[in-house]
Amino acid sequence: METLIDALVTGDHKRALATAQALRSQGVSVEEIVRLGIQPAMEALDYKCTVEQFNLLEIMLAGRAVSGVARELFPDSSTPPDSKATIAVASLQGDIHDIGKHIVKMVLIGNRYRVIDCGKDVPVEAVVEQVRAEKADALCISGLITSALPRVRLVKQALADAGIGHVLVLAGGAALKQSTAAALKVDYVGQTAFDAVKYLDPIFGVKP
Amino acid sequence: MAAVRFGETDRTPVIPQIFAHSAILSGYNILDYVQSGTLAADCQIEALRHYRYDNVFAAIDVCLEAEAIGAELRFRPDLYPAVVTPPLTADSDFANLPVPDPASAARMPELLAMARKLRGEVGHETLVTGVLQGPMTLAVLFLGPETALYLAADDPDRFELLLDYCTEIAIRFGLAQMEAGVHLPMVFEPAGCPEVVPAAFFRELLAPRLSRIFTAFKKAGALANWLHIAGQTLPILPLYSGIGADIGNFDYCVDPQRLIQALPKQLCVDGNIRTLAFIQDQPEQIEAEARRLIHSFGHRGGFILSSGCEIPPESKPENIEALVRAAHRDPCQHITAVTGS
Repeated sequence: METLIDALVTGDHKRALATAQALRSQGVSVEEIVRLGIQPAMEALDYKCTVEQFNLLEIMLAGRAVSGVARELFPDSSTPPDSKATIAVASLQGDIHDIGKHIVKMVLIGNRYRVIDCGKDVPVEAVVEQVRAEKADALCISGLITSALPRVRLVKQALADAGIGHVLVLAGGAALKQSTAAALKVDYVGQTAFDAVKYLDPIFGVKP
Repeated sequence: MAAVRFGETDRTPVIPQIFAHSAILSGYNILDYVQSGTLAADCQIEALRHYRYDNVFAAIDVCLEAEAIGAELRFRPDLYPAVVTPPLTADSDFANLPVPDPASAARMPELLAMARKLRGEVGHETLVTGVLQGPMTLAVLFLGPETALYLAADDPDRFELLLDYCTEIAIRFGLAQMEAGVHLPMVFEPAGCPEVVPAAFFRELLAPRLSRIFTAFKKAGALANWLHIAGQTLPILPLYSGIGADIGNFDYCVDPQRLIQALPKQLCVDGNIRTLAFIQDQPEQIEAEARRLIHSFGHRGGFILSSGCEIPPESKPENIEALVRAAHRDPCQHITAVTGS
């Protein structure tokens, strides 16, 4: 399992996949690989990626390795076994950048969340509909450019209007992280992708 | 230019990074601005007259180079264009791609027309700064961010070929901008930020290529070399002077005191008010923050008051007025005359 953790943290996706396959052939369960391999790797990455040391390239490489192993372990969906909650991720209309969204998605999957990807450049109404249909517990909005701001402010009310005002709304990304939860009318603003997990874990039954 | 050389100035120079905001100020939308260099120049002049800062930018949007080599862009009235289909793939023959001619490729001529008109309007009274994308940013635009970063990790030799191609494009576009009249071209390299790639990546792969770009610009007569990288750049800012940059921006997340400790008397810096503040904050807050910055750099010198990155197009004009007012009114001036580079 140490080899798997090392391969995931260093972003060696081929070695990670080969190790996961070897563990499975040795009879190690999917649940054990997730709990003892992927999750410790994500925690190691979280520790490494403080705000000042966050590094997209290394996170992407690790994320690719995690995604590759996840596809091997549960090929039919992006739902980890024993998932903590369902989280929707989206970039709103006016923002066609989705790399931040992808990073959050990979980090959430690696931390045993079921993730619904609502896409990029998506109208608020369409996001709300997907959140409702998938019974998501929270929605993470990534925004690289400031033009996304006005629409972010509409999300919480739109969820309430759809009768799902209990859904938590998190925001992050280069533009949104400069703001505050109050100014954006959301529940939380994160500085890195890992902040989403730090915010969600205590709420969904995992001690911080 | 005295500030760049750490010399005495009669006041702190103020250069907010205003691009398409000038269009909004003039009653146009962003689509108008990005499609016509002459209209964009008119907007920049209007903004200069309105705000009375110290520079105009010959800058349209970040997609000019990508469009010039075949990227499909999406244009919308109130947004900058964005690449929909990257022009290259990981399998492209990077060693044998043609470098686009700025005189004829897509909208590159619009930027050259903008530069000519701006220089004709302001002469040498106001700095005219061109803008081009750095090699890493071009690589990301040409392939898409994920493909580019994975290629950098999986096949570094081929990625370096791509970076070399991007470097040639940057040099050719920058030289064309200078021929058209800009006093200096600013190199935009946000994808070189340590938040995107490790500082060692910047040092080993990007710094030598930026050095080539800056050497070419200086040889062609650029008044100074200006490197713009947003985000947390403290780990790489000490490298800027060594690669030939005379001015480097610092974003809102870089603490001025730590920057001064890291760069006591080298590199003129510009920054660093949070860009979102120009939308969300009040003028009193902007002016107070600007005055705090001016005082922070009072003894060091080598400082241009600015935003941390581009001022959003939808910013409140009164907030930009407050920024300029702080520079015009604040009694704290650069009084430490030091022989610069």
